[in-house]
Amino acid sequence: MNAPMTPFAKPWVANPDGYRVPYEVFTDQAYYDQEQEHIFRGETWSFVGLDAELPNKGDFKSTAIGDTPVIVTRDQTGQLHVFKNLCMHRGALLVRESRGNVKSFDCVYHQWSFDLTGALRGVPMRRGVRGEGGMSPAFDMANFGLDALRVEVMNGLIFASFSKSVEPLADYLGEGIVANIQRIFNRPIRIMGDYRQYIHGNWKLYAENTRDPYHGSLLHLFHSTFGLYRATQKGFTYMDPSNRHCLLKATASAAPTSASEDQEVYKDVRSYNTEFHLQDASVLAGRPEFEDRASLVINAIFPNLLIQQIANCLAVRQSITHAPNAFEIVWTLFGYADDDEEMQMIRMKQSNLVGPAGLISMEDGEAIEIVQDAVIRDGKKTSVLAMGGVHAGSVDHMITEGPIIGFWENYARYLKLGDELKK
Amino acid sequence: MSQTITAAHSAAIDALHAAYLAALDKGDMVAWAATFSLAPEASYFCISTENDRRGLPLALMYDDCRGRIDDRVSFVTKVWVGTYQPYRTRHFIQRLSCESAGNNRYRVTSGFTIMMSAEGGTTAVLTSGEYRDLIEIQGDHAVFCERRAVYDADVLPRYIVFPF
Ligand code: FES
Ligand SMILES: [Fe+2]
Repeated sequence: MNAPMTPFAKPWVANPDGYRVPYEVFTDQAYYDQEQEHIFRGETWSFVGLDAELPNKGDFKSTAIGDTPVIVTRDQTGQLHVFKNLCMHRGALLVRESRGNVKSFDCVYHQWSFDLTGALRGVPMRRGVRGEGGMSPAFDMANFGLDALRVEVMNGLIFASFSKSVEPLADYLGEGIVANIQRIFNRPIRIMGDYRQYIHGNWKLYAENTRDPYHGSLLHLFHSTFGLYRATQKGFTYMDPSNRHCLLKATASAAPTSASEDQEVYKDVRSYNTEFHLQDASVLAGRPEFEDRASLVINAIFPNLLIQQIANCLAVRQSITHAPNAFEIVWTLFGYADDDEEMQMIRMKQSNLVGPAGLISMEDGEAIEIVQDAVIRDGKKTSVLAMGGVHAGSVDHMITEGPIIGFWENYARYLKLGDELKK
Repeated sequence: MSQTITAAHSAAIDALHAAYLAALDKGDMVAWAATFSLAPEASYFCISTENDRRGLPLALMYDDCRGRIDDRVSFVTKVWVGTYQPYRTRHFIQRLSCESAGNNRYRVTSGFTIMMSAEGGTTAVLTSGEYRDLIEIQGDHAVFCERRAVYDADVLPRYIVFPF
C-alpha cells in the first residue's frame, strides 16, 4: 500500500488534450481509506434516507455512510437522529435489523440500553451484585451516549454529517441543486420500494457514470431506441458553484429532433434502432407532471446520492462503499401521496426502467465492472476526460465530460492531494 | 398437497416447471415466454423478499400483462444484445405446496435456487427464493397465469438480465 501522495505526481493533470486520472484511484486501498476519512467522515453531507421511510415515532433504519454503519431513527418527539451503529461499551454493532420500530436500542452483548435520542439509559449490574463488583464510581452514564451525527432534513431528504464544521446543507448544495430538490420533493411522497445491487467495482466509477451525459445515448440502447434521451435532444448540464454536484436535464419535445439528424449523429452506433416496436407501450406512456417538461433529470449530489426523474419514474439512489472494488446501490422509488390510481400504475409500469435489471440501468453495472476488471494492473495509466473542453462548469448542452472533471477536482481537494494536482 | 389433484394434472405441472427451467438454463427467452398463458392478463413478477415483506409493490421485473412478457423477450434478445456479459444459469426447484383454485387452476409454491456461471468465470449462487404460481391446465399441458418469483437476497450480487 502506498501513501496516496507520491503516486499522483505526474499523471493527474489537465492538459489541453484531456484531464487525466490515474487508475490506481479505483483499486488502491490507501485511496479508499483516505476517502472514508476525508470524504465520507469529512466535510460533506451524506444522504441516509427519506423521512417517509420513518413515519412513526420509534421507527429506525440501518444504513451506512461510506462503509461506516449508521442508524437513522425518529425519537418520541418526532425528531430525526443519526448515530454511528456502534455500542459505546465495547463496540458491538448495536442494530442488526435493516428496519424496525423500537422503544430503545439494546445491545445484545451486555444489554446496555440507549434511548431514541442516543442517551445511555441502562447498564446491567451497574451497582454490582450483592455488593460486589459494579461500575467504577467515576463512571457517568451521561458521557456514554451514542455518537451522534449532524442531521439536516430538506424536503424529506435526510442528510447527515460527521463534521462539526461543514457548511449548512443548503450552502453545501447550492441554490440550483436546492431548487431541483424542491422541484421533485414538492409534496409528500409515497414509497414504492427498494432495489439493492452489489457492484464489483469502485464507487467513484458510479460517481463518474452519473455525471456522464456522453454515455447516456450510447451505452443505453433503450434510450436511443425509444427516444427517452437522444444526444440530439435539447438538454443542459448544470454544476453548482463548487462543481461537486451535477444536474443533467433533457427535455422531451422542446426541440423536436429530425429523423435525418438523428441518423447522422448515430450512423456509426450499434444502438440506433428505429425498427423496434413494443407489444405493450405502457413503459413509455407517461403523464407530464413538471412544468419544465423535462423527460430526464439526473442529479448527482456529492458524495453518495443521486436523484432521478426519468419520465414519471422518480427515485433516489444511495451509494454504500464496501471496498476499493465493491459498492452497493440502493434505489428507493417513490411517487406522491396524492397520486391517483392511474398515476400509481404509470409509475409501476415505468419502474423497470431502473434497478439491477433496469431497462436503462442494467448496463451501468456492466460498464463499471468492465472498467474495474481492466484497470486493475494499470494503476499508473490514466483515463482521459476531454469531451466538452477539459473543464468543469455549466453548459447548455450534454455533450460533455466536464462534470466528471468537477468531481475529480473536488476529490483531490478533499483528499488534500497537494500542489502537484494543480493545473 | 391438495387432495383433489389428479396424477395427470400433477404431471402437467411438473412438466411446466421443467419447461420453464430448461428455457432459462438454455437462455431461450422465447421458450420462457411460451410457458405463460396467452391471455392478456398473464403476468410475471420478480420481487425481493424485502419489498414483499414490507407490502411494497416495487418489483425487479414487473410484467403485469402478456405484452410486457413478450417485450421482456425483445429487451433481452434485441435491445440489450452486446451490452451484458453472457452468463449461464442452472435452476433447481422443489414443489412445496399445491392447492386447487377451481376451474383447472392450481396455486403452487416451490423453492428455487439459481446457480450462475459467468463467461470465463466460476459458478456461484445467484440467489434462492420461492415461486408462487397460479397455474392453469389447458388440455394436456399447463401454463402460468401468474408467476411470482420472490427472491431471498437483500442485495443482488450483480445486475440481472434473465428472469428468475
Ligand atoms: S458491547 Fe454493547 S453492551 Fe457490551
Ligand atoms: Fe447510465
